[in-house]
Amino acid sequence: MKVSISIKKVLLASLLSIYSLSSLNAAELKKVESEIKTPSLKLETLDGKSLDLKDELGKVVLVQFWATYCTPCRVEMPSMNKLIKKLEADKVPFKIIAVNMGETKAEVQKFVDAVKPEFTILLDSKGENVQAWNVFAAPSNFVIDTKGKIRYTLYGGVEWDSEEITKAIKDLAKESS
Amino acid sequence: MSQTSPYYLQKLITVGLFFLFLSSNLFAADEVKTIEMANSTDIDIRIFSAKGDKLLIGFACDQGSSKAEEETSKALAKDGVEVWMPDMLSAYMLPKVRSSLSDIPTDSLIKIIEEAQKTNKNIYLVASGPDTELILRAAQTWESTHKDKQLGGAILMFPRLNKTKPEPGKAPNYQDIVGKTKLPIMVLEGERTPNRWGIQHLTHALKKGGSTVYAKLIPDVRGYFFKRNDPNVPEDLVTSQMSGLIKASLFYLGKAHQ
Repeated sequence: MKVSISIKKVLLASLLSIYSLSSLNAAELKKVESEIKTPSLKLETLDGKSLDLKDELGKVVLVQFWATYCTPCRVEMPSMNKLIKKLEADKVPFKIIAVNMGETKAEVQKFVDAVKPEFTILLDSKGENVQAWNVFAAPSNFVIDTKGKIRYTLYGGVEWDSEEITKAIKDLAKESS
Repeated sequence: MSQTSPYYLQKLITVGLFFLFLSSNLFAADEVKTIEMANSTDIDIRIFSAKGDKLLIGFACDQGSSKAEEETSKALAKDGVEVWMPDMLSAYMLPKVRSSLSDIPTDSLIKIIEEAQKTNKNIYLVASGPDTELILRAAQTWESTHKDKQLGGAILMFPRLNKTKPEPGKAPNYQDIVGKTKLPIMVLEGERTPNRWGIQHLTHALKKGGSTVYAKLIPDVRGYFFKRNDPNVPEDLVTSQMSGLIKASLFYLGKAHQ
């Protein structure tokens, strides 16, 4: 009797685990219903230049907060490279800004050399922007429209070059044209 | 007779099993105590006895079966801190998944604390990850039912107390039990985990019940570093020094009562 209860619980736990894995894969853009004021973002890039988010008005911008120790961040970066290429081919004004959460330049450089992201990496060594943007987990993503307004958020790893995400970004870009 | 003969192999297996038997978890602790609950569930507790005045209860572990937990318990006991490791999961036939936590009755946690109180030592609670919810639950119930017998404090290692998935741009939504106890709390968080950015927010939420809350970031380690299969050098080092970390936490928790 006790054994059969235990087996049932283990089976139930396994089903729950499968469900939670599938829901992670199903992470999707979440429309921002009540407006989130876009915080400022001005930081140094990995190659020593300064970048200010407000200079990117007119483009759809994906701001991602990430860390080298975050496994989904590493896994999804190739799909972010593909998304850039896809949108470039369609002449969609789009930029990815990936803000590293509080790590050293050397740690980030080592990761970049291995994973080869083809987008801008910003260094937030003190984590000041992480806090200003209310980020408590990685990867945390904000999709910002051409007027600088946060329109979607997304937490967790995802295939960024999916049809759904590509369409959502194209639609945002169309709004300003 | 060749060394690869069946006789030699049999002898080798027998010796191997003997050493395995000697090194099994059951015999690493001083004692295994069994407490019977009201519903006739038996809970086994590994006890690492010590002569000091502090007693640390780890919830909801599986009797400290991981090597790091066992080594830490032994080191603490050697330094005078008694450690109790109740096996809550096996007692209630629960798998090691987050959803099991809600199936662990608060009454059973209270019963274990009551049993520990009989030693006349100061009682402290420790848990990691989502299990930290259990000790907050136990602390709240204890405070409302045992007003004359205060607990010493709680150590929350890498607490994962979110009720819902994190949402970028929004403050975390914690379990209802957060901020419902006055127990002094020490939060330990790895520096190399995204949760470090929420530590200030969590500390603030925990303080709402009247707790004195200390929070410390452990440099260069990831969450659950003592349970990882791929530890780096700092993680190995901190794991080996975990008893010191816990002793320092107990010191600060003790100060909260002064």
